[in-house]
Amino acid sequence: MPVNYEKLIKDLVTPLVVHPEDLMVKMFSEDEAMLTLQVFVHADDLGRVIGKNGRIANAIRTIAYASASRESKKITINIDSF
Amino acid sequence: MKSFKFEAKNLDEAKKIAITELRVNQDFIEVKVLEKKGIISKTLICEATTTVEPTELGYNLLKDMFVNMNIDASIEMRRRNDKEVLYTINTEENPLLIGKAGKTLENIQFYVRNIVNLYSAEKIIVLVDIGGYKDNRKRQLEIIATKTAKDVARSRIEAKLEPMNAYERRIIHTKLSDWRDVSTTSEGENPNRYIVIKPRRR
Repeated sequence: MPVNYEKLIKDLVTPLVVHPEDLMVKMFSEDEAMLTLQVFVHADDLGRVIGKNGRIANAIRTIAYASASRESKKITINIDSF
Repeated sequence: MKSFKFEAKNLDEAKKIAITELRVNQDFIEVKVLEKKGIISKTLICEATTTVEPTELGYNLLKDMFVNMNIDASIEMRRRNDKEVLYTINTEENPLLIGKAGKTLENIQFYVRNIVNLYSAEKIIVLVDIGGYKDNRKRQLEIIATKTAKDVARSRIEAKLEPMNAYERRIIHTKLSDWRDVSTTSEGENPNRYIVIKPRRR
């Protein structure tokens, strides 16, 4: 079964946000081997999800990257607020 | 777990206050009304509590993460004391999860540490280890430290080691702290901070 990246990322971001109702994870371009994930969060949650010096965002990216590389895929994650 | 008491005019306001004070996902907050005061303008005395035990949350996050990745994993959680928790992970994909020079492991640990402390009132030290990587790496670093220190002591020429994170540099500083022939300092800026082993003047 292929990995559901939307769920993987959503589960990782959920405990970080104060407004879970405004969290949205969308895979908007799916090439066979190049995945792009868009993460939308409430404006107040953006700082939390990115973290100091972008370290939280980086950690999430690294985890996604490892998971994707297992399926010989590359993944890009963009984090933005509404 | 975090908790605090406060006053509010109504339940909606109470929820809002709870969220802004605790600053965590509202699905993990419970607001209880302890007491109602006043007859005309009512005031509620409330208590807001986070509903998850921080280290349990960390465990569940790791568990779900591996399920989502389709990776079979065993996770053991050990509380050494109130202030420290260690997650020992073993999977079919250890090298992948450790990553190049332990980078992926470092990021997993950073992520879990962040979440656990977000939901904890007290600061908790969170350690994650995969397949005994940290012990192996420690042994390796101590060998590098001893070898290089011997060279420096003999040649009296200082030596730079490759860039390492704070935890790895500390292992080397500690290992060489009781050497009389050499001293160690860290130079450069993160993430390229590295150790220099210098001969000590006699």
